[in-house]
Amino acid sequence: MNLADARFSIHGNVVVAQLLGEIDMSNADGITRALLDSTTNDALGLVLDLRAVDYLDSTGIRLIYSVRESLRTRGQGLRLIIEMDSIVGDALRLSGVARHMAVTDTVEAAIAALRDS
Amino acid sequence: MLLTAVGQVSPNPQQARELYRLSDPALSELGLDELLDEMLIRVRSALGVDTVAILLLDEESQQLVARAAKGIEEEVDRGVRIPIGRGFAGRIAAERLPIFIADVDHADVLNPVLREKGISSLLGVPLIVEGALLGVIHVGSLRPRTFGPGDLGILQLAAARVAPAIERARLFSALAHEHRVAVVLQRSLLPTRLPEVVGVSIAARYLPARDEVGGDWYDVIELPRGLLGIVIGDVVGHGIRAAALMGQLRTALHGYALEGHPPGYTLELVDRFAQGMPEPAMATAAYAQFDPETGVLRYATAGHLPPIILSPQETRSVELVPGTPLGAFAYSRCPEHELRLNAGETLVLYTDGLVERRDTLLSDSIENLIETIREGETPEDVCLLAIDRLMRIGPGRDDAAIVALQNTAIPGELRLRLSAEPRALTEVRQALRRWLSERGIAGDAWREITIAVGEACANAIEHAYSPAPASFELEATTDGDWVTVTVRDTGRWREPRGRNRGRGLTIMRAAMDDVDVSSTAEGTVISMRRRLSAR
Repeated sequence: MNLADARFSIHGNVVVAQLLGEIDMSNADGITRALLDSTTNDALGLVLDLRAVDYLDSTGIRLIYSVRESLRTRGQGLRLIIEMDSIVGDALRLSGVARHMAVTDTVEAAIAALRDS
Repeated sequence: MLLTAVGQVSPNPQQARELYRLSDPALSELGLDELLDEMLIRVRSALGVDTVAILLLDEESQQLVARAAKGIEEEVDRGVRIPIGRGFAGRIAAERLPIFIADVDHADVLNPVLREKGISSLLGVPLIVEGALLGVIHVGSLRPRTFGPGDLGILQLAAARVAPAIERARLFSALAHEHRVAVVLQRSLLPTRLPEVVGVSIAARYLPARDEVGGDWYDVIELPRGLLGIVIGDVVGHGIRAAALMGQLRTALHGYALEGHPPGYTLELVDRFAQGMPEPAMATAAYAQFDPETGVLRYATAGHLPPIILSPQETRSVELVPGTPLGAFAYSRCPEHELRLNAGETLVLYTDGLVERRDTLLSDSIENLIETIREGETPEDVCLLAIDRLMRIGPGRDDAAIVALQNTAIPGELRLRLSAEPRALTEVRQALRRWLSERGIAGDAWREITIAVGEACANAIEHAYSPAPASFELEATTDGDWVTVTVRDTGRWREPRGRNRGRGLTIMRAAMDDVDVSSTAEGTVISMRRRLSAR
């Protein structure tokens, strides 16, 4: 069974990816590849919506960092949408990376933030 | 040049002996190939001809195909095919009458082998059984020759002798073929491996009918969020068509279920799918979603038999509004029921092959089934008891499927031994979540312990990078206000590498009160404690 699913939508020059399910070492590499492949060169950046993720561990955090690095070298931005009172919020907080992440509440706000930056 | 059959034939004594040789009872002991071979040899000697050949009708192409030959064996090897109505053999088949050609005009003969051999005279008769044309048998002579009524009688006798044998063999092989195809099809459609989930035990069986396959199926589906789906279904009808239809409905249901739709809506989607099929398709099915964490069973049925719940307290068949069968009525609704499967209880889904007897009320039959399986302690036992009873019923039974799922209690101490592969992490999370929930642990503690244990196990899996199969162990206990989790592997601790590594340990330390990592030559042990109250 595939633990997680990724749904993509294009909002003008921004790609929005919604992840659903659980992210761990069994699927993180595949998801990283899918996120980078779907953010085409002409896009301003990627909005990663993690609100429907039920589990995320340090591999998932590595995924976020590695996507951010790859996008940065292409001159593209990354914005996360996270519910802080959730298991994903816990993972970011416990690992001490929450404050380094550009987190937004809604898809609209994330898109606007990417366009302003 | 044409010669038609001439009423009754009265053979001379010599020919009578030849006739007797053709009706030798020993011939019926032979297989079709041997029978045809033997028959051709006897016909050749009885008529004193140079060639004998049998061509059989291929219904699909409406062509005669060389099946057996003497004197012109190349005909078979080359796979000579003659269209009905054309050439010598084709005309015999089209007109269903004997044809005699005394002096072969090559324009009349399509068969290149006959032309190359330089056949001068030909006689052929149709092979007919119960009004149906099976093919043609013909004989040929290299020197010009006249075939008289006696010769025709012998050839007709041979035709009458082989035609039923050919028909029998054909029917037999067609049926055997259909049965083989259907069995292979059905087997390929049933799950080969049932999922293993801590706290849940599952078993299933499919038993084909004696002489044909049916459209019964079961399925067990690992759903997102740790839910388990179990399915039972029964397509109306038998044979390859029912089996193929079963495959389509089973796949549709499996696909819709993986999308995460609730049971009632899933069955409604399969119903729409069945409505849209080019041929009418009707089936009954039931789909249950079990949440091992809570014991909640969401259940929907499209006209299927009621589920049985085996319980140490009260074993019962659960009467529910069954909904209408799949494919029966447009826009039918499939109500959903919420049941509970407590620790120790077993849900049993089955098809009518397990209960239907012509002379018994259905409700009595279900009672009988319950009586048969109630002593089964595990799902495996339940399936064995049900199948044993069915086998005793003897011939004439329908196909049958059964699937049983038991909510097995999780002991106070959780102990798991898992293979060191990434997919083990899902199993750990499922078991741990349920174990925590059963101890009344919720909220922050529940989430943070889950994350910390996930990290410790991911660590154990990363250690096991040797090619040999490796495993790791997890142990979780509670002691008053404390939860203790230990993860043991047999690999060497690896110092975190790279900028993004080492985060696992950070997470474990932040989530738990104590974390102890000890690494020896034998392996690494991570021991963690967490206080439940007032952190």
